[in-house]
Amino acid sequence: MADDLKIVGLLCNWCCYGGADTAGTARMQYSPNIRIIRVMCSGRINPSMIFKAFQDGADGVFVGGCHIGDCHYDAGNYKWSRRSKIVEDILEEFGIEKERFRHEWISASEGEKFQKTMEEFHNTLTKLGPLEL
Amino acid sequence: MSYVLAKSQNDDIHKAGECGGAVTSILKYLLDEEIVDGVLALSPQNDVYDATPTFITESDDLLSAAGSYHCAPTMIGDLVQKYLFDKKVAITVKPCDMRAVEELIIRHKINRDNIYLIGLNCGGTVSPVSGRKMIDLFYEADPDDVVSEEIDKGKFIIELADGSEEAVKIHDLEEEGYGRRNNCQRCDVKIPRKANIACGNWGAEDGWTFIEINDEKGQELIDGAKKAGILETKNPAQGAIDGREKVEGIMIKMAKKVQDATYPTVSEMDEWSRCISCYACRDVCPICWCFENCELNKPYFKDEQNIPPTPIAFQGVRLSHMSFSCVDCGQCDDVCPMDIPVSLIFDKLQKKYFNRTGYVAGVSDDIKPPLYSPEKTEL
Ligand SMILES: Cc1cc2nc3c(=O)[nH]c(=O)nc-3n(C[C@H](O)[C@H](O)[C@H](O)COP(=O)(O)OP(=O)(O)OC[C@H]3O[C@@H](n4cnc5c(N)ncnc54)[C@H](O)[C@@H]3O)c2cc1C
Ligand code: SF4
Ligand code: SF4
Ligand code: SF4
Ligand code: FES
Repeated sequence: MADDLKIVGLLCNWCCYGGADTAGTARMQYSPNIRIIRVMCSGRINPSMIFKAFQDGADGVFVGGCHIGDCHYDAGNYKWSRRSKIVEDILEEFGIEKERFRHEWISASEGEKFQKTMEEFHNTLTKLGPLEL
Repeated sequence: MSYVLAKSQNDDIHKAGECGGAVTSILKYLLDEEIVDGVLALSPQNDVYDATPTFITESDDLLSAAGSYHCAPTMIGDLVQKYLFDKKVAITVKPCDMRAVEELIIRHKINRDNIYLIGLNCGGTVSPVSGRKMIDLFYEADPDDVVSEEIDKGKFIIELADGSEEAVKIHDLEEEGYGRRNNCQRCDVKIPRKANIACGNWGAEDGWTFIEINDEKGQELIDGAKKAGILETKNPAQGAIDGREKVEGIMIKMAKKVQDATYPTVSEMDEWSRCISCYACRDVCPICWCFENCELNKPYFKDEQNIPPTPIAFQGVRLSHMSFSCVDCGQCDDVCPMDIPVSLIFDKLQKKYFNRTGYVAGVSDDIKPPLYSPEKTEL
C-alpha cells in the first residue's frame, strides 16, 4: 500500500533541512511518508545508517546535503558523495533496488526542489512497492 | 628499482633455502647486527602442512625456518599490529601479507619505520586440508610421507623421504577442485613491490634467488648483507628479467580470467542465507582492526536472536567498512564454518571500487581519495 511506504530522510542541518523547512512554511504539498532525521552534515552519514534504516523497515532512504561548494564544514558533502557510491555498490549485491536509495543537493532556499524530489521519490517507491528483506 | 641475483655465502643456509637462501641470509644479517629485535617468518612444526608464523630472535633458529611453505595460508598483518607494534621486526611477506601491512600502516596500526618487509613472490597457497586430500587422490604417496613440497613450472611437486619426487600439473588439480585456494587462483598481485625487496625463483638460475630491489631500504639490506660477508650477488641477464616479467604477466592474465568467470556467478543472498553470525570472518580479517569497538557489536546492530542475520545489517555493514581495502587473502573463507565464499564477495566489491577509483588495496599509493579522505573530488 503506497500510503504505508516508509521513507527515512537524513538531511543536513544547514541546507536540505532548511529546504524542507522552506517547503513546509510555504505549505507546498508532498506525500507525508518521509521521516526526517536531522544530521549536522551529510559528511556525518555512514553507509551503516542507510543499512540500519532498511533493516528496520524503510522502503526508501533519502539523503540531502548542501550543494557542492556550499558545505558548512567545507568538504563534508564530497565525502558523502564518494561514500554514496559504495552504498550503491553494496545495495546492488543485497537485492535492494538502487532506486530505493537517493541523494540530492538541496539548499535552504530550494523548497520547491525538496517538494519535487519527495514527490518523485514517492512515485518511484510506489512503483517498487514495499521492500522485502 | 633494480634487479640482482643473490645467494648465501653460508653453506648450511644455501642448502636449506628454497632458492639461493638469500632471504634467510638477509634475516641473519639483520639479527646478528642487531638491526632488528626479531624476525617474523614461518616455521614448520610436525610436517609440511603446518608451518606457523614464528617470532625468531636467535639467528641459529633461522635455519629451520628456511624454505617456502605452500600449504601454509597464513596472514601476518594482524600479528604485527597486535603483538609487535613497538618492536623492530623483519617480516617475510607474500603479496597478500604485504598488502595487509600496507593497509594497516595507512590506519596507523603498524609503524613503517619499525619494519623491514622481505617480499616473496607468490603463485598461490594450498589449504593444508585439501592439500593432504589432493596428495592422497592424485599422487601415489601417503600425505604423511611427504618431506617437502614446491611449486615449479605450473606443477605441484612433492618429495618423499627416499628422495623420489612426484609432480602433477596445478591446472589438472584445479580442474578437479583442488590445487591453490580459490582466492589465490584469482589473486593478481604476484610480486610484492611495496616490500623493500621482492624475492623469487622467477628469473633465477639454480641455486640463486632473484631479487627486485624496490626502494632505498631494500638496497641497504642487500649492501649490508654483502658487507657482512653473508650474501653474494651478481647481475641477472636481460633474458632472465624479461622471462620473469613474462611469467608474471601470464599469471596475472590467468587470475583475471578466473575473476571474470567467478564474480558474476556468486549469488550473495543465497550465500548469506547460511550465515550463523559466528563473527569468525570478521575476527580473522587483517583489515578489520576495531575489535571490541566493532560496529556489529553495538546494541543497534547486535541481534543474536536472528539467524541468519539480516545480510545488509551484518555483512553489508562490514563490507561498507572495509571492502575497498580487502586484500583478498582468503582468511575469511578458510575459517567460515558454513563454507561461504566470503572473500569472493569482498574482493568483488574491492574490484568494483577499483573500477571507480583505480585504488588497489595495499598496492596503490593513495592515487585517488579513498573513502574517508578530505579530498575535494567526486567519483
Ligand atoms: C607460498 C609461496 C609461493 C611462492 N610462489 C612463487 C612464485 O610463483 N614465483 C616466484 O618467483 N617465487 C615464488 N615464491 C618465492 C620463492 O619460493 C622463495 O621463497 C624465494 O625465492 C626466496 O628464496 P630464498 O632461498 O632466498 O628463501 P629462504 O632462504 O628459503 O627463506 C624463505 C623465508 O620465507 C619464509 N616463508 C616460507 N613460506 C612462507 C609463507 N607461506 N609465508 C610467509 N613466509 C614464508 C620462511 O620462513 C623463510 O624465512 C613463493 C614463496 C611462497 C612461500
Ligand atoms: S592471495 Fe595471492 S599473495 Fe596471498 S597466498 Fe594467495 S596467491 Fe599468494
Ligand atoms: S575480507 Fe577476507 S579476503 Fe578480504 S582482507 Fe578480510 S579476511 Fe582477507
Ligand atoms: S564466518 Fe561464515 S558463518 Fe561466520 S559470520 Fe562469517 S559468513 Fe557468517
Ligand atoms: S553541512 Fe550540508 S553537507 Fe556538509
